[in-house]
Amino acid sequence: MKLPALIAGLLLSASTLAADDDFFDRLQELLTVSAGEGRVRARASGTLDLEGYDLLQPATGLIQTAGRRLFVPRATTFLDAQFGPRVYAFAQLRVDRGFDPGRRPIEARLDEYAVRVRPWNSRYLNLQVGRFGTIVGNWVNRHGSWTDPFITAPGPYENLTGVWDTEAVRSTGLLLRWSHLRGGPYSPEQVAAEKAVRLPIVWGPAYATGAAVSGDIGRIRYAAEIKLGSLSSSPEAWLHAREHRHHPSVSGRLAWRPSQMWELGASVSEGSYLRESADATLAPGFTRGDYRQRVVAQDIVFAWRHLQVWTEIFAARFEIPTVGNADTIAYYAEAKYKFTPQLSGALRWNQQIHGTLPERGLERTWGKDTWRVDLAPAFRFTPHTQLKLQYSLQHGDAGTRTYTRTLATQFTVRY
Amino acid sequence: MIRRSLLLVVLGAVSAPAATIEGRVTLPKTRSTPVVNQRYEIVAKSGVLSTNPPVAVVYLEGSFPQAARPVVAQVVQKDLTFIPSLLAVQVGTHVEFPNHDDTFHNVFSFSPAKRFDLGRYRADERPVPGQLFDRPGLVTLRCDVHEHMRALILVLDTPHFVITAADGAFRLTGLPAGRFTLKAWIDSKQTRGQAVELGAATVLRVDFP
Repeated sequence: MKLPALIAGLLLSASTLAADDDFFDRLQELLTVSAGEGRVRARASGTLDLEGYDLLQPATGLIQTAGRRLFVPRATTFLDAQFGPRVYAFAQLRVDRGFDPGRRPIEARLDEYAVRVRPWNSRYLNLQVGRFGTIVGNWVNRHGSWTDPFITAPGPYENLTGVWDTEAVRSTGLLLRWSHLRGGPYSPEQVAAEKAVRLPIVWGPAYATGAAVSGDIGRIRYAAEIKLGSLSSSPEAWLHAREHRHHPSVSGRLAWRPSQMWELGASVSEGSYLRESADATLAPGFTRGDYRQRVVAQDIVFAWRHLQVWTEIFAARFEIPTVGNADTIAYYAEAKYKFTPQLSGALRWNQQIHGTLPERGLERTWGKDTWRVDLAPAFRFTPHTQLKLQYSLQHGDAGTRTYTRTLATQFTVRY
Repeated sequence: MIRRSLLLVVLGAVSAPAATIEGRVTLPKTRSTPVVNQRYEIVAKSGVLSTNPPVAVVYLEGSFPQAARPVVAQVVQKDLTFIPSLLAVQVGTHVEFPNHDDTFHNVFSFSPAKRFDLGRYRADERPVPGQLFDRPGLVTLRCDVHEHMRALILVLDTPHFVITAADGAFRLTGLPAGRFTLKAWIDSKQTRGQAVELGAATVLRVDFP
């Protein structure tokens, strides 16, 4: 489907739905049930997303296609339930063509499910167990299609390195090939196929299985989690949590909120990044537990009136026994401004740089340094319908091209 | 003589005992208390929300003068809820939206009667952000941060209105004599009306079954 035709179709749908705003409000009430004078209550809600991409190959980030155009429908259903004041549970069911944009067959997945308990009637301590997004950083709590000003994730959450999770790196030369610095040119088909095994610093919201503690003490917010999957673990790895039972990952975040306007956070994370299938490729005498991903991150959130700013910086290390430490730094800065109640615009700068590894007495940069600028206007037709456009220009990691660009649109209906 | 008669008429109108209408509106069944989405706010904010039982607005429709002085009303954001959840105001009222929570809210409305977005503001910001409601109609308030938060402002072209009790009972006092239409706004789809004739100092009983 041509992108202009898709946009026209989405606009037509939006104008039709705009007239039915009352319908969504009534639907929300219908999808809420309660018992025990409101002590137990549950609500189903969700989003319907239609995404279209117009790409130059190789596609950036986690877009897994070798084609020029991609259409991605997605239905997400959330269930939130409150059992008295201290127990909260939630789940997220998604029906789409794979967790990341691609051309796979339609599938249904339970991406998140968790129970949270507050043992005492205070915000000092919350306990959570299940499968849920990471507590690291500040992007996860706004990563939904309705709340994220952009269609694609920030760079650190989707820029793929040359490190794989299904096979251990055995030499610097091999890592340079997996990073596409050597041995090219690589066809779009090969690049798309390898995206399932190459690792970013954080894979999207990192919906791995585990447990978390969190709380507020005055203006300090803390959170810690132990999970069966590192920050970089892929959606496929989240489904096979047992593989990580002997090598869990731990993460923590501390945030200071001097006022409602500011939040300054610092996160750390450490865990094994390899999957079970990599066992046969480990260096002699080493276990998967020796292939660790270590991450230190800082994040800042600022908001006032119609301006919101987010920034995060990640310093990540993939430890590769007998090869060395593959270090990378990635950051982004993002701002969103509401021009009118319905029209907003967002701008994001992403950059990732890589360290060096030794090879035959020389230091080689082990990954392609990249920068990307994203521009995304958005229009909310109603409180339940939204259209986003995104233009991205990326330098580096674009195969034979110096620059690549992505044009994307996303129409969302929220109910 | 004519001037004296006019004066008497004016004085009579001013001092005429006001009429009252009382009655009951049959309300829809109680709404479910909303569930707060805390999926990515890992610190639980509030497990208990105040209930918002359905209430109606009863008002007298007619041709009445604007309020002599600007009226200020408030819709407070507290415990992740708008309080009150239904506010009735006369056209020309300035409504303030103080934030009494320790987290940001973002009050907005896409309603044709008033389209606005206040953005995010601190609890201690002065003047308290607000809006002038200068067109009659129904305004749905929402929060861009907390999707469960919703409230209504019914902007009326009359100074004579009252919000019913939770059992639907109402008492509308200080009404002028004359022929009017009494209306009961129940929700965005239901407004009932009834013609009434008010005399001086009369107490009229009107029910909206």
